[in-house]
Amino acid sequence: MVVDDSEMNRSILADMLGDEYDIAEAENGKEAVTILQMHREEYSLVLLDIVMPEMDGFGVLEIMKENGWIQDLPVIMISAESGSAHVERPYELGVTDFISRPFDALIVHRRVVNTIFLYTKQKNLENLVAEQIYEKEKQSSLMIEILGHIVEFRNGESGQHVRSVRVITELLLEQLAQKADCYNLDWNRISMITTASALHDIGKIAIPEEILNKPGRLTKEEFDTMKTHSQIGANMLEELPFYQDEEMVKVAYEICRWHHERYDGKGYPDGLKGDDIPISAQVVSVADVYDALTSERAYKGKIPHEKAMEMILNGECGSFSPLLLECLTDISPTLKKGVNAGNLIQSNHREREHAAREMLHYRELTASERTLHLLEHERMKYVFFAALTKDIQFEYTTTPPMVTLTGWGAEKLGLEEIVMDPLNDPRVKALAKEEDWQKILRAIRSATPKNPMITQDLRLNFDNEQRWFQVIIKTTWTQDEPPLYTGFIGKAMDIHDSRVKLNNLEQMATHDSLTGLVNHASAKKQITERIALRPDSKYALAIFDLDFFKQANDNYGHLFGDRLLIYIAEKALQSIRSSDIAVRVGGDEFLIFFEYQQELEPVVKRIYGSLTGQFENFQISISMGIAESEVVGTDYEEMFHAADQALYSVKRSGKGRYRFYNASLSEMLSAISNIEGGDREAAIRYNKLKEGH
Amino acid sequence: MTLQECYQALDGNYDDVLGRLRSERLVQKFVLKFLDDKSYELLCSSMEAENWQEAFRASHTIKGMCQNLSFTRLQQSSSNLTESLRNGWTPEAVPLLDQVKQDYQQAAAAIGELKASLGL
Repeated sequence: MVVDDSEMNRSILADMLGDEYDIAEAENGKEAVTILQMHREEYSLVLLDIVMPEMDGFGVLEIMKENGWIQDLPVIMISAESGSAHVERPYELGVTDFISRPFDALIVHRRVVNTIFLYTKQKNLENLVAEQIYEKEKQSSLMIEILGHIVEFRNGESGQHVRSVRVITELLLEQLAQKADCYNLDWNRISMITTASALHDIGKIAIPEEILNKPGRLTKEEFDTMKTHSQIGANMLEELPFYQDEEMVKVAYEICRWHHERYDGKGYPDGLKGDDIPISAQVVSVADVYDALTSERAYKGKIPHEKAMEMILNGECGSFSPLLLECLTDISPTLKKGVNAGNLIQSNHREREHAAREMLHYRELTASERTLHLLEHERMKYVFFAALTKDIQFEYTTTPPMVTLTGWGAEKLGLEEIVMDPLNDPRVKALAKEEDWQKILRAIRSATPKNPMITQDLRLNFDNEQRWFQVIIKTTWTQDEPPLYTGFIGKAMDIHDSRVKLNNLEQMATHDSLTGLVNHASAKKQITERIALRPDSKYALAIFDLDFFKQANDNYGHLFGDRLLIYIAEKALQSIRSSDIAVRVGGDEFLIFFEYQQELEPVVKRIYGSLTGQFENFQISISMGIAESEVVGTDYEEMFHAADQALYSVKRSGKGRYRFYNASLSEMLSAISNIEGGDREAAIRYNKLKEGH
Repeated sequence: MTLQECYQALDGNYDDVLGRLRSERLVQKFVLKFLDDKSYELLCSSMEAENWQEAFRASHTIKGMCQNLSFTRLQQSSSNLTESLRNGWTPEAVPLLDQVKQDYQQAAAAIGELKASLGL
């Protein structure tokens, strides 16, 4: 069958192969699967394209693998793709070979012939192995049967008994295996017990012929002698010089010794009870009793099937395990039809099929099962750890473009565990901002096999809220030279809480908690940074405080004082540009730092004017000292000191105005008495946290 | 126009295709069949409808046919277009589609001429 969506490609292949093979065509995966479902056995080979509408080549392969079709029906992939990533997956799914485009008539022909030939050969081999096993089995069971028959010939029986017991034993065992797991009845053990059942009466070889073949009832003594046959048979096997460890000998021993035990403990020779009697002996005892009843013996005639069943089920032949009696009832219809050689042939056929299949797959089976176990174990570990960490773990493959998420993560993101073509999926796109996705994609594109790791923070819509995640990604590459990019694996960790905490602490550490202005501790850093950006600009640093603030506090209370400070802070912020800096130095002292272009005085005048005025019933009066970088240079400490001295001189000379620093003030003392960082504690915590990271 | 001249006109590799298909009759048969395939129309309409997946498949199919026919020029441009659409739309797809259109027209014209001279 040729499966390809292009009519031309199908017909090229059909033309190349049409002389020798009958060709059917399918134009997509779905059509191919439908045909295979109905008429699989009519095909010797599938030529399969990968990229097709409806269902692609991988889909077809997966279905073929799942249903086991691929074991009997070889598949050759038609592919224009090269590189191990494209070859690996099909091979894993059971593809035999590849034909790459463009088609070369000779290669196509050769590959097809080879593959069909290979599969035919394997089929033949399979049959051959089955045949050999059958021969071997036949020979050994023949020997055992001959042994069993020797007893029967002495017994004057036709030899039918051994065969019948064997068939009934097998039927019972197969029934029992379906009903109960506790007896470990795999096909191998069933076959062993069945074969060994032929030996159940070998002990009779030591019983005198007069007793063995006596018509009519046995006397008590005679019966006691007869009863010894089970123990004698067991002894014979026990005294075998070799093969004591053979499972077959052990099973035969059980059967010989205990096939006259009864479930209630009233049998012989040991009076074993219930499941103390090995299941092999239990089954043979039922088979033995049924066959004895329904056959003609020296001392009795044939009893019909229905009557025999009734007698056994009523307990007239001693008690048996209820489960076994159930099995006997189950196989009653088969028994009624008569147990004959036909059943036997069938059962041998079954056996050999089993053996051949098992033998052929044995090696393969153990290897792949171990791999499966390991895989399953790894998967379990992965799921466990993923669940434990609350990370979103993911895996992305480029061909087909598909992302696989851990169950928990998928649920929280509102996605399925597998999302096809995620980069074009609107739900995936909506998870984060477009620029964040672009940032990650750019990083992935620039990753190399040597530098495959990417770390990126982004905000995700997680469980219906926006949360910060850190995404760590490792890109994956083929082993080829040069390596090809195949996708990536990674995880996203929820760092929202720690990030928010960090942001808060940063805010607390660098800002004044009352007014929200920058605090003195971080003012120096910010101002120094600002100057460093444009060292040649002109800057001014103004320090001011509220005149009569103490009185305001005393007259109107501290709460009023706080409101006043907040008001001043707002005014200060309003009077400067966003690129300028307003600082609460401490207490009622503030600092404003700004860049200016032309004249400084008008700017200062405007700022000063906006700060003064009426706040509720309080007349605001401001004293301000200003230092210019043109006068004192751009060093922060110098500027601060100069402005402080200018302020001091204002305070000394009547308050309520501003003054620029000049050299004449250099001997002044400081106005700022106590610069206590109100948020010192926060600053310490913040620094610790930062160092810890 | 001979088959060989047709290959020259559409920038294909006649020796290569003959080497693989091994019969001039077969080559001619499939060249004449090329225009019957609907993938080109599907490609154009899918690009129009912004169905990138469908466009990718159509482009992929054209590329595959061109490989088999050794239509070197169109194979190259459709291959480029296929790659640009493999994981969805990329900005490159727009100019690459124009190139495919141009190369397809060139091939179609050459095949049309061949048909005419064969009296078809």
